[in-house]
Amino acid sequence: MAELQKDPITRSDFLGFGVMGAIVGAILTIPPVAFVLSPIIKTDVLGESDVGTGWVEVGPVSKVPAEEPTHFVVSFPIQQVYGTKAVENPNVQDPNEKFTLRNAIWLSWKAPIKEQGRQGSNGDIIGKPERPKILDQKSSGFTESERKEIMSKLNVLSNSCAHLGCPVRWNEEKQLYLCPCHGGLYDINGGWVGGPPPRGMYRYTDAEVREDGKLYVKHKFNIEPGLNKQHPYVV
Amino acid sequence: MIGRIRTQTSEASQFLVDWMEHRTGIVTMLEHFLYEPVPKRGAWLYTLGSAVLFTITLQFLTGILLLFYYVPTTDHAWNSVSYIMNDAYFGQLIRGIHYWSANFLMAFIGLHMGQVFFSGGYKAPRELNWVVGVILLLLVIGLAFTGYLLRWDQDGFWASVVGMKIGSYSPFVGGYVVHFLLGGDAVGPATLSRFFAIHVWLLPAAIAPLIGAHLYLLRRHGVFGSEFEYTDRLAKLHERQRMEEYARYETVEEDEGEPYVGRRDRADREGYEEE
Repeated sequence: MAELQKDPITRSDFLGFGVMGAIVGAILTIPPVAFVLSPIIKTDVLGESDVGTGWVEVGPVSKVPAEEPTHFVVSFPIQQVYGTKAVENPNVQDPNEKFTLRNAIWLSWKAPIKEQGRQGSNGDIIGKPERPKILDQKSSGFTESERKEIMSKLNVLSNSCAHLGCPVRWNEEKQLYLCPCHGGLYDINGGWVGGPPPRGMYRYTDAEVREDGKLYVKHKFNIEPGLNKQHPYVV
Repeated sequence: MIGRIRTQTSEASQFLVDWMEHRTGIVTMLEHFLYEPVPKRGAWLYTLGSAVLFTITLQFLTGILLLFYYVPTTDHAWNSVSYIMNDAYFGQLIRGIHYWSANFLMAFIGLHMGQVFFSGGYKAPRELNWVVGVILLLLVIGLAFTGYLLRWDQDGFWASVVGMKIGSYSPFVGGYVVHFLLGGDAVGPATLSRFFAIHVWLLPAAIAPLIGAHLYLLRRHGVFGSEFEYTDRLAKLHERQRMEEYARYETVEEDEGEPYVGRRDRADREGYEEE
């Protein structure tokens, strides 16, 4: 092979090729790669989110019964680049509200944990859920201390299963949350009881009851990984 | 009269074939690509690869047809599929073929791989064709995964959510995989667009040349267990048995030369090809 090369490459030729190659290679590869990976750059590097960060109304907490959880569907506004609804439909009030992410929220009253269970082997032993007494008298116009009491007793849970994100629902017969996909089980507090989920249900970390007696949440969860240290993701 | 026309037509077509053959060599190429000797025994098993090729061709053809009506936006995806199924002429047939041949494709690939594996068809000199085949399998799985979301119904939607969350459990890059597929951090219009782009452009564009490479390598080495290879090996086996028979009768003699190890093995060791 060597004799085919009439002019051997000199050191400066080699360096020239290397430098030019690096420049041309960068020009050719960086734009398309960054173009395709821009969601990763936006979300993981810059920490931005497509989901609106504002408060979203859930519903009146007085509607949550004592023994059973109840669910509300909320719509978080999401902004993903294209497809502005305002262009197609001029009647949309908020031009920023392009699309919504519909999530279900399970609300229930906390049941006191009598004995802490261990993730992966057995669930918590719990008592009866405690509904705040104040809700029997009024459903709105709570004072500061009453709101605090309500929030300390309220479970605000995402319906996204901690295993693979299927929507869980309350099974009245078993008195547990049941995931339809792989049979994950959670108690009324969202604690792990059985099945493949590595942890309990995701809780909304930013939730508040206002004077009108309604609950408001932000799209934020406690996303600590569970038994196995994997990157959790909430739909 | 009719006889003359027949002769003239046959001469004209013969001329056309010869002309094309001389310019492009297409006739020998077609002969080379279409005809392949396979052993009589288990001949039907050799159709599994062709079955895969047939179903994947159906995927390409019906997929192109579906694109005439399908709209990849969150507002219209489900409605456009519904239109294909209920209003478009033969829509049920076209989408049905796309759906069912996708299912059969996976089954055929499994059977084809099993046939190659259990017959030892992946062995030298066909290792690279096995590697190309496995890449093709992964691409087809990617196509099956991305195609499911495009229906934008509850079934496809939740299956894709589960699939993406399975991706989130992959070591080190879990979060990135999910955000790449979602096109952000929520399921929305970007997700559907990405899956559409991957399903309709990226993976088919990657799969087509690899199918070509798979077929080229197949024709280069022939189907394993082809008539000649089979008889060749059988002849070698008989030869070896004959030599063993001789050895049994030969009493203790002086060892002259090296022991017989088979023609092919020796040729390999001395570093030259027989063919």
